[in-house]
Parts: sequence; structure tokens; C-alpha cells
Amino acid sequence: MKLQSSQILAVFRKEVLDGVRDRRSVMSALLFPFLGPMMIVFMFNTIAERQRESANIDIPVVGAAYAPGLIDWIERSGTSVIEGPADPQEAVRSREHDFVLVIPADFAEDFAQGRTAEVELVHDGSRKDPAAAVRKVRTLVSSYSKMLGNLRLIARGVSPQVSHPVDIDEVDVASARKKAAHFLTFIPMFVILAAFVTGMNIAVDATAGERERLSLEPLLINPVPRSGIVLGKWLAAVLFSSIGILLTLASVVLALQRVPLQELGVQLKVGAPEIAGILAAILPLALFASGLQVLIASFARSFKEAQTYLSLLIFLPMAPSIVSSIYSLDSQPWMVPIPALGQQVVLVDVLSGEPVGLLSFISAGLSSLILGLGCVWLTARLFKREKIVFGH
Amino acid sequence: MIQIEGLRKHFGEVKAVDDIDFTAADGAVTGLLGPNGAGKTTTLRMLYGLMQPDGGRMLIDGADVGIDPQAAQARMGVLPDSRGLYPRLTAREHLRYFGRLQGVEGAQLETRIGELLDLLDMDSIADRRTEGFSQGERVKVALGRALVHNPANVLLDEPTNGLDVMSTRAMRGLIRRMRQEGKCVLFSSHIMQEVSALCDTIVIIAAGRIAAQGTPDQLRQQTGRDNLEDAFVALTGIDEVAP
Repeated sequence: MKLQSSQILAVFRKEVLDGVRDRRSVMSALLFPFLGPMMIVFMFNTIAERQRESANIDIPVVGAAYAPGLIDWIERSGTSVIEGPADPQEAVRSREHDFVLVIPADFAEDFAQGRTAEVELVHDGSRKDPAAAVRKVRTLVSSYSKMLGNLRLIARGVSPQVSHPVDIDEVDVASARKKAAHFLTFIPMFVILAAFVTGMNIAVDATAGERERLSLEPLLINPVPRSGIVLGKWLAAVLFSSIGILLTLASVVLALQRVPLQELGVQLKVGAPEIAGILAAILPLALFASGLQVLIASFARSFKEAQTYLSLLIFLPMAPSIVSSIYSLDSQPWMVPIPALGQQVVLVDVLSGEPVGLLSFISAGLSSLILGLGCVWLTARLFKREKIVFGH
Repeated sequence: MIQIEGLRKHFGEVKAVDDIDFTAADGAVTGLLGPNGAGKTTTLRMLYGLMQPDGGRMLIDGADVGIDPQAAQARMGVLPDSRGLYPRLTAREHLRYFGRLQGVEGAQLETRIGELLDLLDMDSIADRRTEGFSQGERVKVALGRALVHNPANVLLDEPTNGLDVMSTRAMRGLIRRMRQEGKCVLFSSHIMQEVSALCDTIVIIAAGRIAAQGTPDQLRQQTGRDNLEDAFVALTGIDEVAP
């Protein structure tokens, strides 16, 4: 008897009905899409908040009177100076101040003599929050130092260029949108994760769940080829996964509209062409994600066992995102057909406004389809093993 | 009609089924009787095509299980050892799902489901989800989905296991009814009384081999015992038969 579409449809309909009634499946398909964007809003607002803080910092200075020129320089840059605490180190340790600039009493004398005058910047290097502010103070002091050095050289009739044998002139060719996309690598990550997370429960329920409930044996007695049964189950998981992707994308777009992107200097345009591009890149990933999950969950005797395997699997699609947030991941042609990685590079290009060839979409989509079907085929073979059918 | 010739299945050194031949006729009830571990479930699993035999041939109304398992499966309804249900589906949805898998569709399917719900006295539970069903109710659902395509051959693996008295009586009534309808009913049991009360033919297996087969009268004659239970003990060489 050959494979009949009515039988695949019967399995598909049953699994979807079963999945819709399963609170766990519905929750994971509905909750995850809103979790990610909530984090986006939170992260961006925190970053923006911090930038605002470092822009309007008050610099506590001890011994301001010894270096009126420096204080003047600092204040002219739009930063205000306040009176520093009596014990700067203790004040930083107790977090009364994030940092303190200390000007020693001999500053004026060293300065007048033309020796290198020293100032102390007391801060706690283990704390991340004040890092931006500390960097700003350091820049202010060193720019003051450089300006004065140049003036002194000019006063002695020497060109300031003498003290700068080599100067670096940075030419950053990344477009502003490309920078924004790198900044937003977690958007691909969330959407890619959605493909894996939202269909997971139904993939588990349809395989390991059948084994745990002892319903696989009666099911397989029906005159339906194993491939037909697995195809129906796979398609049901693909449907849940696709809905999860759509919801995640929709809520990411909504979240991005509530985030002060311009304030961060990030220019990100997510319009209709970008959304169409993202969908074309990511939806086929559901085919692979669900296929792999159906295959792996079939090895498990119980729901819990399958969930353990699959939660480890989730690190797999996260890997490209994590790597690309550390090193900048340039899109290479060989990456495109690798599921998750391919989607990552295509998505970054789409978000950067780079032209993405039709071939990239086709090869990313086709490889997910082929690998997903490969997993279905392997699962169908597994369902013939007596250990799987009867082993509970 | 079910025909089995030279059926064998080994698990390593253990000969679970060792050269079994028998025929189960239409319009008759055939009982596969034997102590636990005798090879009854293994035999049935090979018959319904989920276990690969090491040798032998099985025909269901002429369809060879080894060559075209799906054609054979379409000719039989099976209540297997595993009776797992889907807790989030109703009894009716179980029947509908299995009906579709058997290729029954539309109005014909709904009519058949209605008949079965009547036959199995399941109308009151038809549209309840099976989560929380009693053992008897669960077996009814499992039976219903096995019979939804009105198969000519019915295989029941220990059908009364775990059932209370009322459900057991209902099951026996159903088996007799299926015989009247001309179906070929093959069921396995380790319970002597059940087999003797229902069966036209008894196949006694012990340690993977057929110890004897025939009508209850033939078996009594063969062993020279009046009591079928004594005959069973004499044939299998096993004293311990569950009551």
C-alpha cells in the first residue's frame, strides 16, 4: 500500500487537535514569542539609560584648587565638577561614589616645572555600571594632557607632529545600518530560537509521548506506512513552530517601536520588505527544527527524557548568535545551507540592508527542507525497531 | 481467516516462538491459551505486523503479513497488549482517528462510530476526554478503535485483563456476537475458564511450541481427563495456571 495524503492529513489533524488542547504546547508556543521582545525592551532601555547617565555625570574631584586649568577644561566639555569626599578610596569601596578624581597637592608644582603631573582616578574595576563614566573621565584628562603637550611644543618652536611619529586614522567602512544589525544580533537569535522552542512540546508529545502512554503500538497497527505517520506528526510540529516564529517576529517588531533606537545611534529599518525577507529566511527553519526534534525525541521513552535531550539541543541554534556577538560573523557562502547558521547570516544581511541574493534564500530553505525530511525518514525507520515500538 | 505456518521468533538464545502452525477459521472463536511467557503476545505481535519473524508464514484472508503487512493490517482489528489512549481526545475522537487511518471517511465513518458506541455501550462517555476513564472504559475505547473499520479478523491480546466482572461479561458477549457475524476471532488468554467458555478451537502453547490444539472435547479426549483444566496441566506440564 502506498503513502496516502489522507492518512498523513489524519495524523496531522489529530496531532494539531491534541496539541491545541495541551496547555504545555500552547503555552510554549504563545509565551516564548512575548518573552524575547520583553527582554529587548528591557535591554535597550537599560543601555539607553546608562548612556544618558554617562553623558551627564558629575565628577567628584579632590583638590580641585591645585589644577584650575584641568577643572576648567572638564567643565567646558559640559561635565560638572563636585567636591570630592575626604576619603576617596573608602567612598568608592562603599559605593558612595562610583569614582573620584584626586589631584595631589604637588600637581601645581610639577605642572609649573614642566614635569609630568599626576592625577589619580579612584574606581572599582570590578563594577560594570560606571565603566562608561570612568572611560569618559579618562578621555577628558588625556585630551587635556595632549592639548597641553601640543601647546608646550609649539611654545618651544617644535611642531606637535614630532611627538606623534605615527598616528592612526580609522576608516570604518561598516554602514550605520550594519552596525545596528550587529548590535541587534539577538533579534535573529530570538526568532531562530522560536523555531526550536515553540514546536518542541508537540514534537515530544507526538513521539516520546506516544511511547510513554503506550499508544504507539496500537497506532502502528493501522495500515499506514511509518513515513506517513511520522510525516503527519512532523507537519503538526512544523505548524506550531511556524506560528511561534510569526508571533515572535510580530512582537519583536512591536517591541522595537517602543525602544529609543535613535537615541542609541542605531538606525534600524524594519519595514515590509525586511519582514518579508526575515520570514523567507526563517520560516523554512521550522522544517529542520521540528524534524530534528521529532527524531531525537523518538529515542526517549518518556516525555521528561525527551525534554532533557531537547533542552540541550537548544544550545545548537544559539551557538552562531553567541559566536557572532563576540566575533563579527561575516556571511560566507558555505554558511548559508547550514540550518540556524544560514538563517543567522541571511537575517543579519537582511537587517543590515545588504542585498541578499535569491539563491541564499533558496539554499537556506532547501537545506532545511531536505534535512528535515531526512530526519523524518530516519524516524520512520526508528519506528520499525522493536525496541522502540515495544520498549517502554 | 488466519493461517500460520512454521512461525519462529528467537530473542538471542530464547526461542520465544518455535515453529507454530495453526489456523483460525471464520465464524469461529480461536483461543490461544498458555501460561505467562509462553509466546502468545509474541505470536500476535508478528501476526499484526509489528514484529519481524525469524521464519514462517502468516496469511490474513490470503494476504501475506511478511510481503504486504498493510494489506494484512487492513483486514484485521487488534486489541494489543498496549492500550494507551490520548488523554486529551474524547472516545469518539479516538474512533474517528483510527477510522481515518484505516481509510474510512465522512458519513460512512460517522455511521460506523455511532454503531460502535451503541454496541460497546459507550454513548454516555462518547464525548468525554479519556483522561480519568476507568479500566473498563479504556478497554472499550481501545476495542472501539480496533473495530472501527469493521474488520473480518479480530485479534485480542488478553482482552479481559484488568476488567471487572461486568466488563468481562460484556467482552464475552461481544466476542460471541462477532462470531455470529462470521468474523474470525483470535484471542489469547491465560485463563482456562474463559477459553473453555468461549472457544470453538483451543490452541495451547507452552514455551513457544504448540502443546495441543482442537475443540474442547478433542482436548479432553486426547488427555483422557474430564476437566479441561486438568487437560491443560497435563498438556503443558505446568501446574501453575492462574485461576
